[in-house]
Amino acid sequence: MASREIVRYKSPARTAFSVLVILFLIIFFVWTVLPLAIMLTSSFKDLLDAFKLPAEGDWGGVGVMFDFKPTGAHYVELFTEKHFGEYMRNSLIASLGSAVVSVFLGSMAAYALSRAEFRGKKDLLFWIISTRMAPVVAVMVPLYVIFRSSGLVGTLPGLILAYTTFNLPFAIWILKGFFDNVPYAIEEAALCDGANRWQALRMIMPLVAPGVGAFIVLCVLFGWNDFLFASIIGSGGAKTLPVATAELVQPVKIQWGSIMAAGVVTTVPMMFLGLLIRRYLVTGLTMGAVRE
Amino acid sequence: MAVNTIHREPPEQSAYRGVRRVDHSPQIFNNQPARYYLMWLLLPAVLLLAAISLYPFVWLIYMSLHEVQLAPGKSDLWAGVDNFTRLFSDKSFARGWVTLFKYSALCLSVEISLGVLVAVILNNSRLEKLFITIFLMPMMMAPVVAGFLYMFLYNGTFGWYFWLLRSLGVLDGGTILGNKSWAMAGIVATDVWQWTPLIALITLAGLKRVPQEQLEANMVDGAGPLRNFFSVALPNLYPFLLIAILLRFMDNFRFIDTILIMTGGGPANATKILPTYLFDVSFKFFELGRGAAIAFTLLLLTILLGLILTKIFEDPTRKIKTDGMD
Repeated sequence: MASREIVRYKSPARTAFSVLVILFLIIFFVWTVLPLAIMLTSSFKDLLDAFKLPAEGDWGGVGVMFDFKPTGAHYVELFTEKHFGEYMRNSLIASLGSAVVSVFLGSMAAYALSRAEFRGKKDLLFWIISTRMAPVVAVMVPLYVIFRSSGLVGTLPGLILAYTTFNLPFAIWILKGFFDNVPYAIEEAALCDGANRWQALRMIMPLVAPGVGAFIVLCVLFGWNDFLFASIIGSGGAKTLPVATAELVQPVKIQWGSIMAAGVVTTVPMMFLGLLIRRYLVTGLTMGAVRE
Repeated sequence: MAVNTIHREPPEQSAYRGVRRVDHSPQIFNNQPARYYLMWLLLPAVLLLAAISLYPFVWLIYMSLHEVQLAPGKSDLWAGVDNFTRLFSDKSFARGWVTLFKYSALCLSVEISLGVLVAVILNNSRLEKLFITIFLMPMMMAPVVAGFLYMFLYNGTFGWYFWLLRSLGVLDGGTILGNKSWAMAGIVATDVWQWTPLIALITLAGLKRVPQEQLEANMVDGAGPLRNFFSVALPNLYPFLLIAILLRFMDNFRFIDTILIMTGGGPANATKILPTYLFDVSFKFFELGRGAAIAFTLLLLTILLGLILTKIFEDPTRKIKTDGMD
């Protein structure tokens, strides 16, 4: 890069500027990481330690944050008394079920949409993307009434269907972009060599497999983190982790220790999954518009 | 499929009896068999999607024209356009829209300026990898958990951010979420914390596609780094920022988990954005007919945004299509 080769002379203004930049980065770093650190440490503190604060304006007292005896009591309580193991299973079944259904049907549809030209294709695509963008509450109003009359409220299949309302259009839309990037020539070559269409499709599967895998993970993430659908459609029989966390708020007292522990339990697996699909994350979160 | 079998000649009538005929017609995807094959691939997804989105949409329209009765045995009462006309005199409805736009405008302006700033600083620096990894962490968090975490930080007796604001002498009396303007700032800060990283990642992806020749040419012409950013890098970033703005705006009214947890719309409706109001009407007061009418207006906005978004995706002159998609 040419810009690197330009000789820069040190001047007071330039030094001040770089100090400002570094300061800004440090503040941004702390701002991003501090809440996570507080959540993690608070989940291992007993309530007396968690509520300890230095006096107002006592900047030296910040060390109080890390002055505690670690205890796993909140986690033990979550999984024994509060049945979080069961809720975790519900979360996993609902999000994974919806992800697998969405990506399976979605990749078939995406392949067809990528290869076929027909009248009304644009309208179909528009319908698909606007389904995905509809506000969750607005979708839920009619869905609740329908699910109520068909007995799906409070069941895991109901929740899987509800998550599919946003996961399926997402999968179709984003996988279509994926198939668009695979040249048709590969399939054509396979067809010329005597493969049938199904075998030709299997030829290009290795090319799209990493993406398909990543988008299954992303669909799991969307389902796992959902609260609105789970709180209304899943209320009763299919309680998921976010809903169970919200229920730790009781009229008498908010059980902060347990809530922080539940937060860690809900968040940590998703962070690992996020790291795993790092390469596809921005593509997924921008509906395929931006690629790194 | 049926069409093909009708047109195929029965083998007995063929002049070449006993010889298997091989069809050498080129396998182009728009010929009939391929069309059917692709249609069968497409159909299951489309049918399922229709069942869970189009059918409910028809229901939504039905509900918006009725007074919905949830008690078993009672049938819905015809209400005509009452549910819609009532919205015009509904002050909370109008306020909901205003608050929604205010909330989104605040979130977006802070997120975009911070995100672009961070991305420009980090681009090509040694810290880029480290920060990208850190960026992932807030984004992966369930909005509910983020809501609780910030509620904990804002708490008036043991919240660290409360302590920080008090120590800085900015916050006078009361708690953060109990004060009208501070509560808005509080929920905006939560959104900013969670989603500025996404803007930064999008901007970083955009910065990688700024043509180096243009930057160099500009520099040879004597432009400094600041001038270079505003006259070369920023115009190249616009499509990326446009996508970022649209997506974030959409998510601002798609997800209301954080607001429901932190304030529930309060204090004094200061943070009651329209979807939150819709949630209250539908699932607290169970006035589903009125809720359906409100939901309908929200969906209209969604469709409008969807139109803009598909235009950007389709327009071949846009950078996003040629550079954004490899």
